[in-house]
Amino acid sequence: MTSFEYHEALKNAAKSMVRVKNPRRLLKMIARFIEREVGLTHSSILIFDPPNRRYLFVDSKGDRRIPVGLVRLDADNPLIRWFSEASRSVALSRDFITANQVERLLSNETFLEQNRGIEERLCAIREQMRIFKAAVCVPGFFKGELLGLLLLGRKQDQTDFSLEELTFFQTLANDASMTIKMAEYHDDLVRRNRELEEQIEEVTRLRKKEQETYYQIILSLAREVHARDAYTSGHMEEVEKLGLMTAEAMNLNLEGKRRDILVAALHLHDVGKIGIPDSILKKEEKLTEEEWLIMRDHVFKGARILEPLDDFKEVARIIMLHHENFDGSGYPYGLKGEEIPIEARIINVVDTFHAIVSSRCYRRGRPFEQAVKELERCAGKQFDPAVVRAFIETISRRIQPRYDESTGLELKSRTA
Amino acid sequence: MITKLLVVDDEVEICDFLKTFFEERNYKVFTALNGETALRVVEKEKPAVVLLDIKMPGLDGIEVLKRIKALHPTAKVIMVTAIETRDKIEEATRLGADNYITKPLSLEYLETDVRDKLESLAR
Repeated sequence: MTSFEYHEALKNAAKSMVRVKNPRRLLKMIARFIEREVGLTHSSILIFDPPNRRYLFVDSKGDRRIPVGLVRLDADNPLIRWFSEASRSVALSRDFITANQVERLLSNETFLEQNRGIEERLCAIREQMRIFKAAVCVPGFFKGELLGLLLLGRKQDQTDFSLEELTFFQTLANDASMTIKMAEYHDDLVRRNRELEEQIEEVTRLRKKEQETYYQIILSLAREVHARDAYTSGHMEEVEKLGLMTAEAMNLNLEGKRRDILVAALHLHDVGKIGIPDSILKKEEKLTEEEWLIMRDHVFKGARILEPLDDFKEVARIIMLHHENFDGSGYPYGLKGEEIPIEARIINVVDTFHAIVSSRCYRRGRPFEQAVKELERCAGKQFDPAVVRAFIETISRRIQPRYDESTGLELKSRTA
Repeated sequence: MITKLLVVDDEVEICDFLKTFFEERNYKVFTALNGETALRVVEKEKPAVVLLDIKMPGLDGIEVLKRIKALHPTAKVIMVTAIETRDKIEEATRLGADNYITKPLSLEYLETDVRDKLESLAR
């Protein structure tokens, strides 16, 4: 091969390395290329096998090829040690070893005398090269780590290798090492990325599960509140139905999350009452100033209970504001009209209505008509008139009210 | 006296490589590509050591091991194979295999092991 041909071959090899994702295929290409283009008795490639810290033949081409899979070189093999150990003799190049070089040095008495212990090592190297019929041994390094070895047989034309050829092999070996390492990094990166994604999925799943569990706990707390308060047995389900009907009648957007928010708020608006003692909650007489303050606090308590739920920030706000009145006379802030979320305005109406028509321990539930009259009377004061209008319209159209002392209001669809 | 060694493997390249390796170390090396040939060589040449592959077409290494031990009980048989299952190791050991080496192997270890077997034979 001429100098130009080597240059071209190198360029092509470098291009292939970029393209080839599978380093083993690349190494086979290199072995075949050297064997064919340079005309050797054999060309063999060993690569590092990190888990077992050994070097394995991955390919061998040519008449005197080495059976792949039979032999391995351990880390203590004289050839491997020569290249991988830091204390290398200056006499031999760390870039490659040729059989001729070794012979020359072994016959150089002065050199052997000056370098104690080298003779033994050189003999061991000569023996290894003889076993593998190697005329040249070219290491491939990446960041100082010995990743592979090219073992090359004699040239078919019996000539010696030129420095140009040796430099070419060396470049190939180093480029191939880099390619192997890059492919490893790439695989490693892909694997770690996948692991990370799986972990994120798992965390998200657990978080969601945790949130669901917490929601169920709050829900049972809310049920507990209603269970303590006899009048509200079945309250949650009925308030939910009434609230959703009203929202539908007002043509509110109830797609996906909006519906969930409204339903959760309808269910949980009184969960904060869990901390209020029965002596206040069930008191028939007028509450003292102190008791009233405790009672009012339930809107904050309810909002606080919902704090750990990521998706319930809006629900918490609605719960906090469900005792605000349309004219600004409510609590805790005295907000007015549109300042109050629509869901809170709906809760105010349906909750009041349900309380009026239901039986209470200290007061019998009043009939449907009377409750409707009460809502109309307070429209524009306690209640949003638009909500009252929609509520009365839908309840009159779809519900056949029947007063029942034990269950309160029974809802029946006329079309059912 | 020159030591006789038999390499049994269905891959020509492996036989050739090990033949060269041991010839350079002053052994008289015979090779066999299958169990039948191996048994004929054992009968005729009585090798001191046999390097025996397990996975071969026809008679497999385990069967060949059994017959070698019957034909020539003092032969040291070293199983050399890529299959590394506990069952096979146990079976081969039970049938009198003298060692078990898995490929890819270290040539230095193989050579030492062959020498050890010969020394034990001499004692």
